[in-house]
Amino acid sequence: MAGVTLRGVRKSFGRIEVIHGVDLEVADGEFVAFVGPSGCGKSTLLRLIAGLEEPSGGDLSIGGQRVNDRPPAARGIAMVFQSYALYPHMTAYDNMAFGLTLARTGKATIAERVRDAARLLQIEDLLDRKPRDLSGGQRQRVAIGRAIVREPQVFLFDEPLSNLDAGLRVQMRLEIAKLKADLRATMIYVTHDQVEAMTLADRIVVLNAGRVEQAGTPLELYHRPRNRFVAGFIGSPAMNFLDVVSEGRADGSVRVWLPGGVPLDIAVDGAAPAAGTPLTLGVRPEHVGLADGGAGLFATILAVERLGGETHCHAALEDGQRLLVRLDGDRPVAAGERLRLNLRGETAHLFGSDGQRL
Amino acid sequence: MSGLPHSSLERQRRRAAWLFLLPMLIVLAGVAGWPLVRTVFFSFTDATLATLDSFQGVGVDNYLWLVRDPVWWRAVWNTLVFTVVSVGIETALGLGIALILNAHLPGRGLLRAAVLIPWAIPTVVSAQMWGWMFHDLYGVVNAILMGLGLIAEPRAWTADPDLALPVVIAVDVWKSTPFMALLILAALQMLPRDLYEAARVDGVHPVKVFVRITLPLIRPALMVAVLFRTLDALRVFDLMYVLTGNSRSTMSMSVYARQYLIDFQDVGYGSAAATLLVLVLAVATVLAVTLGRVRVDAGR
Repeated sequence: MAGVTLRGVRKSFGRIEVIHGVDLEVADGEFVAFVGPSGCGKSTLLRLIAGLEEPSGGDLSIGGQRVNDRPPAARGIAMVFQSYALYPHMTAYDNMAFGLTLARTGKATIAERVRDAARLLQIEDLLDRKPRDLSGGQRQRVAIGRAIVREPQVFLFDEPLSNLDAGLRVQMRLEIAKLKADLRATMIYVTHDQVEAMTLADRIVVLNAGRVEQAGTPLELYHRPRNRFVAGFIGSPAMNFLDVVSEGRADGSVRVWLPGGVPLDIAVDGAAPAAGTPLTLGVRPEHVGLADGGAGLFATILAVERLGGETHCHAALEDGQRLLVRLDGDRPVAAGERLRLNLRGETAHLFGSDGQRL
Repeated sequence: MSGLPHSSLERQRRRAAWLFLLPMLIVLAGVAGWPLVRTVFFSFTDATLATLDSFQGVGVDNYLWLVRDPVWWRAVWNTLVFTVVSVGIETALGLGIALILNAHLPGRGLLRAAVLIPWAIPTVVSAQMWGWMFHDLYGVVNAILMGLGLIAEPRAWTADPDLALPVVIAVDVWKSTPFMALLILAALQMLPRDLYEAARVDGVHPVKVFVRITLPLIRPALMVAVLFRTLDALRVFDLMYVLTGNSRSTMSMSVYARQYLIDFQDVGYGSAAATLLVLVLAVATVLAVTLGRVRVDAGR
């Protein structure tokens, strides 16, 4: 097993640079997820690690060895593709054994490794079927099996579940979590689905436009997003952002005025912005509470979405700013009603005009 | 779709299907079915081009003559040699060119269009062009080879019995390789890129990738292309006729049939030859489709 280190890795296609100097350390045995919007470079970064793309600059090491100049097969990696990339004319067994056969591994060893992987993935009965006779989930298992038999130091997953339907995706997510516990290998997992990233990863790397916005544990990203992009990207439904004005510092926190003249004190790390500085207040829909009485932040409900277990209220504050409030599933609310909202400083985030957390 | 139609909707759809097929069936019956039936019919008569209205049935006499004519068997042999050699070379070359065109080369679009030119030229025109190039006195081929010192004196390319068939095959290869290359290229471009990346991660040698992955996957399309070219080659006429006339050293079955039909005006005998040619084609097709498991609806 081995860790993966990226030092100032860059990638350009023609004149367009898509990865702008990424530094990243993936520890031995760690499960790291790359997330980000489409086109953020997460798949490119994975393909650079795999050796399917050549970096335009920087150093890439796997297990302490610089691998920039090594072909994919010599990097000790195995990759699972979004489209599974199974050889359509070969049986599941041959798909898994193909790479080993050509590497002149002994027949007995191959059979043993394939059987072991098949047992782990519960596809022992499917080994003599061709890919077209397998369901999407079964194909994905075979693709994962093909990666396992290579006994790689690092597993690379490129959106492995995005071609599966929702139910199967949840099931395969659990299987991958189990695989992670069984194999104890280093795994790098690209996904656009933050639930997958949050549930599977030891650490999440949020990418945007070819840069790392933040790398941290799932809860770190959720509770202490470093900037507005990460705050908006992690969490579902997405965080609310409100325009507020700073009133200056008081006891290690910044006081801001909410629309309707409600003050809110929020703890910050950095220097306090001068009074009058426009700031962005971030608060997650699940952290907006309802107040029983007294002075409060009033909002008018524009629309109600009932999901059964929870209710999403799209509301407008008195100055017209929009806000999503997440309430219990059976809370009796209707469009047109006025809510008295309660925000708490501990669960609110402040961002400067540059998008960075204060 | 088996058994009786179950509902009026189904019956209606079947009627519509037949209605759409009808124009094509009528045209096919007129331009292919009728002439074929007439040819088979004439092959059992002593009709001549001058006496198409008055003829007598002669049973299988024409066929008996045919199978005893060494010239006919020479034509069959020529056709088979021509077919096997030219289609073989075209397949190998076409595959190579398709692989090159499939690589991400600059100017690939232009190259692809350029490759098609020989196929786009009518055979009669290109055959005549090559005929002049191979001319024994004024041909550019002799001039070049003599200039290079490869031959001492001009060769009669199309008249020499040993050279004529190779020349005809060479011209066919020049003309038909683009067709092969394009069909194979289309098949290659259908192959998902992921497969090749998976093979790279598996560390599969490029030659192995070609033999174990590319070739099996393009096999259905390749077999269809080979079948098309084989049928085309078995009934070859214009190349030989333009390049070498009725010369026996290159005479194909079609040239033989035409010679009897038109030059000797023996419609009955010529029809018998044409009918046998159709039979050979039919047998070749059935063999290819069953033995080669060609799926004419290639793809999935």
